Amino acid sequence: MTSHASTPRVSASRPKVYDRLTPDAVLDALRRMHRIRRFEEAAEESYIRGLSYGTMHLSIGQEATAVGVCVPLTDADCITSTHRGHGHCIAKGAELTPMFAEFLGREGGYCKGRGGSMHIADPARGNLGANGIVGGGLPIAVGAALSAKKRRTGAVAVAFFGDGANNEGAFHEALNLASIWRLPVVFVCENNQYAMSMAISRSTAVANVADRAIAYGMPGVVVDGNNFAAVAEASFAATERARAGEGPTLIEAKTYRTRGHSRSDRNRYRTREEIEAWKALDPIARFETEIVALGIGSPARVAEIAAEVEKEMEDAVAAASASPWPSVAEVARDVYSPAGTRV
Amino acid sequence: MAHEIVMPRVDMDLATGRMGAWRAAEGAHVVKGETLFEIETDKAAMEVDAPASGVLRFVAASEGDVLPVGSCIGWVVAEGEDFVPPVTSPRAALATPDSSARADVEENDAVYADAAVGLRATPAARRAARERGLRLADVKGSGPKGRIQARDLEQCAVGEPRMLSVNREWLRRGEGAPIVFIHGLCADLNGWRPLFRLLPETRPALAIDLPGHGLSPLGEEASFDALVDAARSVMIEEGATSAHLVGHSLGGAVAAVLSQAPGVKALSLMLIAPAGLGEETNPAFFDGFLQADDEAALTPWLNLLVTDPASLGSALAPATLRQRTELPLVAAQRRLTKALLANGRQTIDIRDCLAAPRMPVKVVFGLEDRITPAHHAENLSGLVALHRFAKIGHMPHLEARREMARLIVELAGAGAA
Amino acid sequence: MGARELSYAEAIREALAIALAGDERVFLMGEDIGVYGGAFQVTGDLVDRFGEERVMDTPISELGGAGVAVGAALTGMLPVYEFQFSDFSMLAMEQIVNQAAKLRYMLGGAVQVPVVFRMPTGSGLGGAAQHSQSIEAWYAHVPGLKVVEPSTPEDVKGMLLAAINDPDPVIVFEHKLLYKMKGPVPEGRYETPLDKAAIRREGRDLTIVATGVMAHRALEAAESLANEGIGAEVIDLRSLRPIDKPAIIESVKKTARLLAVYEGVKTLGIGAEVSAIVAESEAFDYLEAPILRLGGVEAPIPYSPVLEKVAVPQVDDIVASARRLARGQV
Repeated sequence: MTSHASTPRVSASRPKVYDRLTPDAVLDALRRMHRIRRFEEAAEESYIRGLSYGTMHLSIGQEATAVGVCVPLTDADCITSTHRGHGHCIAKGAELTPMFAEFLGREGGYCKGRGGSMHIADPARGNLGANGIVGGGLPIAVGAALSAKKRRTGAVAVAFFGDGANNEGAFHEALNLASIWRLPVVFVCENNQYAMSMAISRSTAVANVADRAIAYGMPGVVVDGNNFAAVAEASFAATERARAGEGPTLIEAKTYRTRGHSRSDRNRYRTREEIEAWKALDPIARFETEIVALGIGSPARVAEIAAEVEKEMEDAVAAASASPWPSVAEVARDVYSPAGTRV
Repeated sequence: MAHEIVMPRVDMDLATGRMGAWRAAEGAHVVKGETLFEIETDKAAMEVDAPASGVLRFVAASEGDVLPVGSCIGWVVAEGEDFVPPVTSPRAALATPDSSARADVEENDAVYADAAVGLRATPAARRAARERGLRLADVKGSGPKGRIQARDLEQCAVGEPRMLSVNREWLRRGEGAPIVFIHGLCADLNGWRPLFRLLPETRPALAIDLPGHGLSPLGEEASFDALVDAARSVMIEEGATSAHLVGHSLGGAVAAVLSQAPGVKALSLMLIAPAGLGEETNPAFFDGFLQADDEAALTPWLNLLVTDPASLGSALAPATLRQRTELPLVAAQRRLTKALLANGRQTIDIRDCLAAPRMPVKVVFGLEDRITPAHHAENLSGLVALHRFAKIGHMPHLEARREMARLIVELAGAGAA
Repeated sequence: MGARELSYAEAIREALAIALAGDERVFLMGEDIGVYGGAFQVTGDLVDRFGEERVMDTPISELGGAGVAVGAALTGMLPVYEFQFSDFSMLAMEQIVNQAAKLRYMLGGAVQVPVVFRMPTGSGLGGAAQHSQSIEAWYAHVPGLKVVEPSTPEDVKGMLLAAINDPDPVIVFEHKLLYKMKGPVPEGRYETPLDKAAIRREGRDLTIVATGVMAHRALEAAESLANEGIGAEVIDLRSLRPIDKPAIIESVKKTARLLAVYEGVKTLGIGAEVSAIVAESEAFDYLEAPILRLGGVEAPIPYSPVLEKVAVPQVDDIVASARRLARGQV
């Protein structure tokens, strides 16, 4: 089964998006991508050794999409995420220790151990949560956009979803509602070619998810999801359109997950060759190459960032592992708001 | 640097993994990403890749081994590296918090003490009975299916000392005059069940627990007369005053005296190894029987009752001991034994009752009886039929139950009512 | 202040108007609630008074619409979403049960979802199987939701206002047969607790616990039973999650007999929970008879009026069961 892998290319000309980003901002983006990568690897290590619980869905290989989309966003803007949401969470500014602690089910986690990998959220930073239901976050993001419009905050909402979600009823309903009400929401499809084991060519009636945008009266944009600059460019355009009151956009980022759907995945639905081909298009490597080539950062600086994140992650794992287990007596805490509270 | 290879967890619910085939051998050069070995799972074999390039060393698992997740399987060591694997202490498995403290759930603290079987009573009635110390068995239910309701208890005379009452059980209800079964000293009404099962299914049967036995408490008076009164009260309450009486050992003596009591019409009288026909008995038996507190101590005394210990069954000893822990039987029976045996000899005499019987009477003895000797049956009235069984001990109704059943049927037929 | 009479639908409309006027964050969503005035004429002229931004017509898009309500509630708004029939809420169950009910818990208490879902429920208008269901038990089964079923105009106004101000997701079931029923409704703003039952009639001989329109049928039955010398205590449950356990327990301790009457299918319905509550409580020791339940028939609601009538408990059924219970015939 072949995939839609485009030829790796470092642009000879300087992508326009770098005109609006300071070098620090670019290096910060690189740092976030490294954080995602290291977090996923640490999570994987933990899982393999039987030190964590349940399962997890890794986004290794999709870092550029997460970070590129979030570059134009502030804490006032919201995102909703998927079951494969660690990357979105980190891209939106989450810290590694409470994220890892949540992954380990500890009280020090973002959700105090109640949510786990699939429901990591950071509402203070506008992350309304990863979601265990495919398509679950789409209407919610539209609701957040409706809220922003009504309250005139100028904020936008971004709904991350995968290629698998684009056949759910919720996808179609959400896009339609966002369009008829002209809401400031950006729909970002991370098309990593496979839902769990089903290739998009088998599941979806059109060649590109973005082709569906026209059915809902909004622009549909296809980008190379492993190219930070391309993703960031598209995200700036869509968020500006939204903030200007012109309505929603559908961005399709073509990317790939080099790990299985989850750890139980035997990868029988794709070939080694395909996986290797996409590994060669690693978004972090490409970004580093581009940063150095464009003189935004030195090789030493770039390597230094990687090393710093390495240490950061080690510390986070240690701190998270030391976080206490939730008290069993509090199993039903926070089902409801405390008695007597009102809106 | 050396890279550890561990048994990976491949599915959420697995804590172990089974090694499949190795693709490289100890000492082989491996390349990062190449397949090193397979893991067998229910779904399919899973390939595990080399984490780095180098030399495969310290291989610690073979095909077919089942290992805990996270166990070290080997190392990939850099070419020429001088590496010694660290000694690892037993891996702490997924640290689970102490889950013995469960989150609180609603308490359910209803406790129902009355274990009377086959009794229908509403929860409200049961509570009222518990609170007032009334026995539901004493109350007639006015509800559907004979269900006892709280208002039925209200009609129990308040103030009457019904705190103590005599346990009785209808082994079978039916038409016609019932057989009333009265057990012996230190026994209870359950001893009649093996015999009862052999009786034909027509005649009703009522069994009584004498005071201080079974479920019947012993009152202040520990005397033979109290036992007779208790049995008589039961017969009156149950509307069974016209009955065929069957008594064993002490119960036989009670039955004999009952047969002469006012208000009782004994249609026939069956006395099985009865007390009251002579002075001798076996006081050591009663002492030893009541003192035994485990099966090893109790069994020899039980065996004294029969010629073939197998006939007692294996459940009797443990059931007897269990009963003692739940009910104050030992103390009550000691009081009775003391009252009924003076200097180790029987104080009751029922010969007068049998001098001129007006109903058919049978007296049964086992010749090997070591509690009430068989020779006590001499010199009885010619109107009393005497049945003597060879090779049978103090419990003919157990050891010769078929014969006893036949005799009871014959006797009840003879005293037909 | 004199209590004038409003219909149940008018009482809802009044509550919504008070909420809309009182807080900018409140807005309504639903199919045909704007210019059409709502399928049961509940919203009426609210769109004229408050505008289309506050009274939003949605396309036929329950899942998407409910999810939008959840997202809006998550981010500072107070949406009140109307399902045209409770049956249609099944299309939105993902957002109601997987999202609204669970977000606060899954996120460790970091968020609240103050959304209200209103649903017309029940049978009696010939709507047949897919427009007549009573699925209160389905939602009452979900931790994280609050579920109420007011049965009077006064209660529906007060409970809806309380629901809108509640920080957690609330489902309000409105029995269709009640929309035109009139009753006294206090003026102005007031709130009725979302966790208390109402004792509509006192009695000593048996307790009838009923929900929705069954509360009215139970009262009618009680009148009839009184003529036979049987005093029925009628409890209008009103709150389905949480259920007002103390009210039921205290009543049964007094009367010793319990009859639960509800429209949902009898098996595994609200009355099953009421029975279990009593059976495992101290009221158990006061029972003088088995607990009886009257519920919906084990079939989809039929179309034909003769069948539709017998598919759910009617006044005569309540009278007959209550009589058997009180006279010790059970």
